[in-house]
Amino acid sequence: MPEFATLTTDGSVATLTFNRPDAHNALSIAMLADAHMCMDEIESLAQKDNAPTVLVVTGAGRSFCAGMDLKEVIIEDDPTLPLQLLESLARLTHRIRLLPMVVVGRVNGAAIGGGCGMVTVCDLAITHDDAKLGFPEVDLGLCPAVVAPWLVRKIGPGRARQVLLSGGLMSGARAHELGIVTGVVDSRDELDGAVQKLTETLATGGREALGATKKLLNTLDGSNELDILLEAARLSASVLATEDAQNRLKARRK
Amino acid sequence: MIRTETIERDGRSIAAVLLDRPEKRNALTPCMLEALCEALEEAPKTHDAVVLGGEGKLFCAGFDLSLCKDDPSGGVMRELLTGLSRACAIMRRTEKPVVIAAHGAAIAGGCALLGGGDVVVSDASAKLGYPVTKIGVSPAVSAPFLSYNVTRGTSREMLLLPELISGEAAKARGLVHELVETREGVREKALSIAAGLAGKPPHAYAATKGLLNRLEGTDDGEAFRLALEASLALTGGEEEQRMLAALDL
Repeated sequence: MPEFATLTTDGSVATLTFNRPDAHNALSIAMLADAHMCMDEIESLAQKDNAPTVLVVTGAGRSFCAGMDLKEVIIEDDPTLPLQLLESLARLTHRIRLLPMVVVGRVNGAAIGGGCGMVTVCDLAITHDDAKLGFPEVDLGLCPAVVAPWLVRKIGPGRARQVLLSGGLMSGARAHELGIVTGVVDSRDELDGAVQKLTETLATGGREALGATKKLLNTLDGSNELDILLEAARLSASVLATEDAQNRLKARRK
Repeated sequence: MIRTETIERDGRSIAAVLLDRPEKRNALTPCMLEALCEALEEAPKTHDAVVLGGEGKLFCAGFDLSLCKDDPSGGVMRELLTGLSRACAIMRRTEKPVVIAAHGAAIAGGCALLGGGDVVVSDASAKLGYPVTKIGVSPAVSAPFLSYNVTRGTSREMLLLPELISGEAAKARGLVHELVETREGVREKALSIAAGLAGKPPHAYAATKGLLNRLEGTDDGEAFRLALEASLALTGGEEEQRMLAALDL
């Protein structure tokens, strides 16, 4: 049974929850493996007559997903761990995008780096003003390669260039202005109401109509291509392995 | 149901191609789309610019669903989807300026037509959007045209979420370029813009438009074809039939 990621269903809405709240749902190989198991289940459900119409992706606790687990990207014993993690992340984003149902990000808190990538792979996403989102990879000596294609497909190449090269973090309100999320509420308290309203509206659409539309959108914007994502994972891993990146990551750990 | 008027503005000859079925909110029929395609192909030959508009309170409420409801085989829907795609493609490929006067409301197929324009004019409280998944129709046919005007992320949102947004919100997204305060003022504004564009050196305008089309992939047609096929694939299908039949028309 997956532990670090869970899947629940409630009528026409399924929910995938990253479940490492003590670690702010930081991406680890184990959490990603559990998320993949959840994807096995939801992909199978999607084929059935009473399949859910919407998948909500969210994080347990205060944060959505605060980035990669430092323990797994600081190279101590096993130099293959970072690439394993990044490839697993790349494949997960691809599976979420190709799922034949609408995916809504419920961005309950911090969504950083790979965690923000998860937000951009969703079809729609809502956060609150105070949440912190962004791609601070360049500040850490890293390259946000796996998330880049998704960000470009979401906000366009011009803005993606600006965001990824600037690094740093932004508020939920700013993320909404940039188009990284499609909706924002003033406070965390209002988030669930907004997500529910959105999922209810989406669910009035025919499942086939939604699936066909998403499939065509994916074809038009290159989402079907896995190779570019795996190549991105390799690029990201090679930059991560440099001395500069490793030193910056170790400094962060302290 | 489609009327072309010649209007002179600032010494330029503008073809106002008008959806003229105001009693039915300019709801599109296969005949109308065929006539519209013909009008859009002919007008640039004898005029300096084209303005696409609608008579009555609003630009276009989308497809005439009463025709589709009575046709479970999906044949009418197929004609409508194909005609719509063709009308947008014709507008995109027109070498002369095309301005859309989308007053009051541009819904579903009506909203799709905005993708054919170089400039789109609307009013702040107009209603625009694609509430079509609610009737089991996939608005995929509009995707390429919408994606040229708004980011792909926004087009994904607009095509999956069956909601209407205001003219003001549409402008913020890039779907509409110019806003006027009242819907009555939209057509005049569109004519004025069209006259201005028609005053530019035609060969330069045509060359620039042609290049932009190439950069977007408009001249290729592959994206249009895939998008149209995606929508066509659902016509006559169980879900679409069921949801259309459930409509209270």
